[in-house]
Amino acid sequence: MLRVENLRKVYKNRKKNITETVEAVKDVSFECSPGEIFGLLGPNGAGKTTTLRCISTLIKPTSGNVFIDRYNVLDDEKAIRSRIGFLTSDMKLDGFFTPDYMMDYFGALNKMNKKEIQLRKEYLFNELQMSDFIYKKIDKLSTGMKQKTAIAISLIHDPEVIIFDEPTNGLDVITSKSVTDFLKKYAQAGKTIVISTHIMNVAEKICDRFGILVEGEMKEIGSLENILDNNSSDSLEDVFFGYILPDPEGEVNHAQ
Amino acid sequence: MLSDSIIILKKELRRIFTDRRMVAMLVLLPLLMLPVMYSVMAKMGSSRDSDISSFRSTICIYEGVGNEDVMGPFIEAISTINTELEIVQLSEVDAVKLAITEKDKELLLVMPDNFHESLTGCSTFDIAVYFNSTADYSQHAYSRVNDVMNSLNGDIVRERILERDLSEEMLTVFTINEVPMKYDLAKEGSVIGKIISILLPFFIIIYLFVNSMKVGLDTVAGEKERGTLAVTLVNQVGRLSIVIGKMMSVMIAAIVGAASSVIGLIIGSRYFMGMFGASGAAISSYSMSTMHILQFAIVIIPLAVLVASMVLIVSTFARNTKEGQGMIMPVYFVVMIMGMATMQTGDVAPKWMLSTPIFNSLLVLKEIFMQGASWSSIITASLSSIVFAAILIYLTLRMFSSEKILFRI
Repeated sequence: MLRVENLRKVYKNRKKNITETVEAVKDVSFECSPGEIFGLLGPNGAGKTTTLRCISTLIKPTSGNVFIDRYNVLDDEKAIRSRIGFLTSDMKLDGFFTPDYMMDYFGALNKMNKKEIQLRKEYLFNELQMSDFIYKKIDKLSTGMKQKTAIAISLIHDPEVIIFDEPTNGLDVITSKSVTDFLKKYAQAGKTIVISTHIMNVAEKICDRFGILVEGEMKEIGSLENILDNNSSDSLEDVFFGYILPDPEGEVNHAQ
Repeated sequence: MLSDSIIILKKELRRIFTDRRMVAMLVLLPLLMLPVMYSVMAKMGSSRDSDISSFRSTICIYEGVGNEDVMGPFIEAISTINTELEIVQLSEVDAVKLAITEKDKELLLVMPDNFHESLTGCSTFDIAVYFNSTADYSQHAYSRVNDVMNSLNGDIVRERILERDLSEEMLTVFTINEVPMKYDLAKEGSVIGKIISILLPFFIIIYLFVNSMKVGLDTVAGEKERGTLAVTLVNQVGRLSIVIGKMMSVMIAAIVGAASSVIGLIIGSRYFMGMFGASGAAISSYSMSTMHILQFAIVIIPLAVLVASMVLIVSTFARNTKEGQGMIMPVYFVVMIMGMATMQTGDVAPKWMLSTPIFNSLLVLKEIFMQGASWSSIITASLSSIVFAAILIYLTLRMFSSEKILFRI
């Protein structure tokens, strides 16, 4: 079980002796249970990546906390990292190596022995249909192959919680479908999955619950039905655009 | 922690040593380039020397007034040089001087008027020899004329002494080291060691630093630029393990690269050591005992760790490799100045140098090459390198904990 409690992240930029503060994430709270896929929706700059980076322990929250079972990101960084698989669009793999070598490398860093790594590789290569390119250098792979490789690496240690930032971004339809199918299957196996996206149809297809994040604030949270009822709308896309575009006619009535 | 560092080290070394371009740049290029470079330099130098010595220079002589009968020996002496002799008149002297400045003629000797009186009266007279120090042929002719004129001077003095029935030995009160014996009491091997000790520490520090830069700037700044660092950071590996693993890989690459450069330098040394008066054979005869090799290792490994740590901290602070290259250049110049200063240092180095990291290691390396380093100076130099490297690693670790530096948020 993943629980984000009153998460807040403030960045300070110092330019010409003037300190500018930007509140990227404002008091965000949500939770995601095992077997559930939670979709964090929001436009660019909404604070999605910052929220996910805080969950992954890559950066520290200014206030608030993130819990996975009894562990939290402030006190148990290593325990949290051993329980999450994290992937963001700005994280790249070293193109010099092959997917097979990278799996061995990250498996070893995650304290797995050779046998465990081998079994896990066989499972993930098979599930993600990667067998054709595991010995090719990552530099030579297509975008879809690279994304599959990144997903496999983030899951090498069989984490309980999976945090994926824009997992289908830039992928062709077939690869995108294979990724979403894989995530659904993984959730059915009892994993806790949080994805961020701005592609509404992907979100609608695979997520059980949603959070709409705009300018660092969680504007909506709940199941698709709840959000549509609250906003008297029949489309998640309309609710989403209602928050991020100017609303001349007031077509969507937000719950707030 | 160490096992994580070793995993990272192995991956970094795999990246370095399975990359053909990197191996060529780090190992093969210095191994081949340095001997080729020095042999080309030596060949060019020797062909220049043979061209100068085979050149037939034009030497002009103004004989002065009233010297017709005594010029014979002077003309004869100068004729022994490979030269075109021209006797000029006083009116032509200025034009000849201009021709020397323009490098059309090589030399002009202006004899004083009536110097035969000084010759017979045994008084000193001065011959003016005009030359052009910026023209190789003129400079060479000047030194050859100086030699033959000094030899003629000696002949004339000898003649005068014999005319007075005196012994020629009167001219020499005493000689120094004329009896063939071994006068230089320096330790066996330390003479060539002295020449090596002047050059090698400088080259070693430069090669260590340059090779650390080749690898080290990419190892963190390059990863930041490519976005590959964050992938490692979200795994179950401590940041100290990452820093130590990366530092060790930079150090090993720097040592391998420096060793290859030094081997290239040694192969090329048979060509360039002539400039320092040593022969290739003398260099080949130089050897170090097991003890000196051990002392060398005790100094060089901590020095390589220090250099790798210096490059790593810059690499961690920089946003990308380009910024890192800009930041590292001032540090490189400081290190280069230290290397050059070590070349100029005499047997007794100033105290501040002995207590400055890098400087003290280079001074100890000098002593090791001369086979006279004390264990106390070896230990002091190694410890200071380790302490400063530890401080830099600690600061790098602090940077690894800074979101601002690591992600430039």
